[in-house]
Amino acid sequence: MSAADWEATAYLRRRHGQVLAEASRRSRAARQVRGRVFGALAALGMAASLFPLLDIVELVAVHGARALSAAVFTQVTNGVSGGLQNAILGTVFLVALGLAVAAPIGVGAGVYVAEWSDARTAAALNYLTDVLVGVPSIVVGYFGFIVFVGDFGWGFSWLAGSLALAVIMLPYIVRATELALSKVPLDLREGSLALGVTRARTVHAVSLPFALPGILTGVLLAMGIGIGETAPLLYTASWSNYNPSLALTHSPVGYLTYVVWTFIQEPFSTAHSLAYAAALLLMAGVLAINLVARQWLGRRGEHAA
Amino acid sequence: MRGERADRLYRAGVGLLAGAVPVALGAIAVFVLVDALPALRYMGLGFWTGTQWNLGNQYGGTTASQNGVVAAAGATFGILPYILGTLLTSAVALAVALPLGVGAALFLSEYAPPRLRLWLSSLVELLAGVPSVVYGLWGLAVVVPAVAGGIGPWLSAALGFIPFLRGPVGTGLGLLSAGLVLAVMVLPLIAATARDAMQQTPRALREGAVALGLTRWEAIAGVVLPTARPAIFGAAILALGRALGETMAVLMVSGGSINLLPTNLYGPVNTLAAVIASQLDAAFTDATHMALHALAGIALTLFVISLVVNGTARLIVRREGAA
Amino acid sequence: MEAKRAWRRWASAGAATILAAAVAAPAATWAAGRPAVHRSGSSVTLLETGSTLLYPLFNLWVPAYTHTHPGVKITTAATGSGTGISEATSGAVQIGASDAYLPPAHPSTLMNIPLAISAQQVNYNVPGLNGVHLKLSGPVLAGIYTGRIKTWNAAPIRALNPGVKLPAHAIVPLRRADASGDTFIFTQYLTFSAGKAWPAGYGTSVSWPALPSLVAEPGNSGMVSGLKSIPYSVAYVGVSYLNETNAAHLGEAKLENRAGNFVLPVAATIETAAKARVGQTPPDEALSLVYAPGKDAYPIINYEYAIVSQKQASAAVAAAVRSFLTWALTVGNGERFLSQVHFQPLPPAIVKMSKAQIAKVR
Repeated sequence: MSAADWEATAYLRRRHGQVLAEASRRSRAARQVRGRVFGALAALGMAASLFPLLDIVELVAVHGARALSAAVFTQVTNGVSGGLQNAILGTVFLVALGLAVAAPIGVGAGVYVAEWSDARTAAALNYLTDVLVGVPSIVVGYFGFIVFVGDFGWGFSWLAGSLALAVIMLPYIVRATELALSKVPLDLREGSLALGVTRARTVHAVSLPFALPGILTGVLLAMGIGIGETAPLLYTASWSNYNPSLALTHSPVGYLTYVVWTFIQEPFSTAHSLAYAAALLLMAGVLAINLVARQWLGRRGEHAA
Repeated sequence: MRGERADRLYRAGVGLLAGAVPVALGAIAVFVLVDALPALRYMGLGFWTGTQWNLGNQYGGTTASQNGVVAAAGATFGILPYILGTLLTSAVALAVALPLGVGAALFLSEYAPPRLRLWLSSLVELLAGVPSVVYGLWGLAVVVPAVAGGIGPWLSAALGFIPFLRGPVGTGLGLLSAGLVLAVMVLPLIAATARDAMQQTPRALREGAVALGLTRWEAIAGVVLPTARPAIFGAAILALGRALGETMAVLMVSGGSINLLPTNLYGPVNTLAAVIASQLDAAFTDATHMALHALAGIALTLFVISLVVNGTARLIVRREGAA
Repeated sequence: MEAKRAWRRWASAGAATILAAAVAAPAATWAAGRPAVHRSGSSVTLLETGSTLLYPLFNLWVPAYTHTHPGVKITTAATGSGTGISEATSGAVQIGASDAYLPPAHPSTLMNIPLAISAQQVNYNVPGLNGVHLKLSGPVLAGIYTGRIKTWNAAPIRALNPGVKLPAHAIVPLRRADASGDTFIFTQYLTFSAGKAWPAGYGTSVSWPALPSLVAEPGNSGMVSGLKSIPYSVAYVGVSYLNETNAAHLGEAKLENRAGNFVLPVAATIETAAKARVGQTPPDEALSLVYAPGKDAYPIINYEYAIVSQKQASAAVAAAVRSFLTWALTVGNGERFLSQVHFQPLPPAIVKMSKAQIAKVR
């Protein structure tokens, strides 16, 4: 039992007396009824939490499935009809480049925090990372617009959108890396160091391979978050009816969340169909990524145990 | 020797990368602050206490100077309605999500059979992965009509003696709908954190409580909830932080009011985040660029609020945890 | 335990496969389509954004134009006139679409070039009365949008519509959430016709009166959606959405013009109003056509502008801009395009002025 557990136990032992005294004032039957009532309330809370999810899935699945067709995948949006090819590819482009920037930086930063920084620096960096998670994504988008689109003169572009996304995804990857590395068994690491292997080599050959599933899980979760973002992209990637080109700058990029947001407010049924199809693709994408991440997470759990 | 040098290089490399987080944060803070300064100088404290948002007369060709800063004639930027809208939508969200989330956590950790628990936990976590525009879509398709046609009129009739809960309910686009959608969005965070904390209650304590003759609920109320309380509190504040900064879902269901202090639970509102997203296009039509600086001022305000809220959440969790 | 693990593996493998397929299909057709673009030589991409009123017309124009000009790609976006103006100003797009002309303080290289003449309807959704053309005036609309007139059976509305059984239901006025040329011409109508009764002035985004019942909608399409879903609402909608407002069985108001007559936006009344004003068009073509004199003149009409910079990134881009805009003024002003969105063609004198401006694009 850790020190914290022991403290908690001592605290709860003091509480026991109060709880028992309170309980003894009521009859057993009344107490059991009370228990049932609260149990029912807990079940109600559970049901109320699940209802929105089921309702969202039902809404999106039913409308989205009806809207899916080959054209959704093979045609670009044309006004408020056509397909979603440009948006699907645009989302992939934006998230891929964003991850290509955020993942190496995030993993490197996580390695530094877990392996080299002293306790105070680590606490400070962790704190700042959590703060960055908490920065509203629209603030990041506004920052990206002025700096990347305006000051750097890239215009609405793949690069501007991806960098804004990278700022959003970075802290998740840092934290996941740091957490995964902190779970590397001490004896494994110390053993390597004791053999005279340098710290960098130990990190590379022992700690990182061990922590890899956890790090990949973090990268995947960041990817899921990137796919679902809208606010940071509105004024950086803007929107395009055409498939993304390989131009990094001066060429706006479409993405799926934009379709959901704008097309649902159009009066045209073709626009509604595309909005629901885009929502279905987003949900399915995030769900698939979650499942894959869970698979890794599961394996890491087995490994660590 | 070569190994040592490589070691130092590696360390320097990752150390440099670790600088990315503070640099990103610092760049956002500095840039937003510098960009906001002209508007803050133009408006003074009135920026936060004023209720009128007016780009001024763009077609009159005249400008006004105030505190040494030039803006379009008649321009004024007061963001009090959006600060209130942000706080109110988040308050409604927490009021709804906290009891539901704790209830769900209790069910998952204490009542559900282990098999069901795994499934339900996964489902609740999936809720956290739904993109916010999809919440907005659901809000428009389901919540707004429900508020306009059912929840709103019912609440107004049942609790109309409280002035703020009195109708008219209107179109459903407004504070209550935004609060409900936000509640659903922060529920998983609260439920998952509370469940984890409840499950960390030492087994011996729980069993001891039952052995002493307490009912299951009494064991929960006496042992499990007190242990989990700091974590639940922390989760509530983190949820608040998330709700304060949410943009898209709120933008889609809030009715997007302007200049309007919220008068009841159902009317249109606007939040700081939604104003930034929806007013940038208008701000760009301001030839004096003062509206853009004012939006930076909103971003700064939102940034500071999120810093304070997230910072406090961590501090409280730490102190309570140590007690 | 073993079974569960197997299930997980299958689920995640399946999920990954579906994900891969959903990306592979668009990617494959994208890759297959790319060589075609390269073969056609150097292609130029023009970006258009802005007015949601012009948007349906651009969506008719662009496929027709690019069909005969395969070297040019044009993306369109309905973002509102404010965005059209600001993004053309910043150089983010080549063509900003706007129902409003540029404000006086604009870069001297920026031009507003009329492409067609449009009108704006005032629509409503009053159950039982959508088949009737209710009569509304500028002062009455100003009353509705300031909250002085609260219900459909208020005295000022009754006075304009004798014999019509108006419901005692609260009015829900809709406004545009985005910076919009429709807001610009609507608030011009209120400013010119209601005087002091309309305090907010005119602009692409105005400081709306603090009115709890006022609902913000994005774009003209958002206005139509709002009208459909909110009973007893009233909104201003560009005439290019007439097909949608008719399909949704919304009411269309007769508006009071300067002469005191109540008229609908049809070809004849739009032409009457245009004739009364277009002669005053200055060389930079910034002119309000709102509240024109004339017995049968419709009060809210306007030039639909392309906001274009004289300085383009390259000679090829400038040539494409000139080519497309000239095409829009000639072929694009044809009946088969304009009648679909209920616009009117520009008079020959204005086409000449617009062409003179287009020639400055370099």
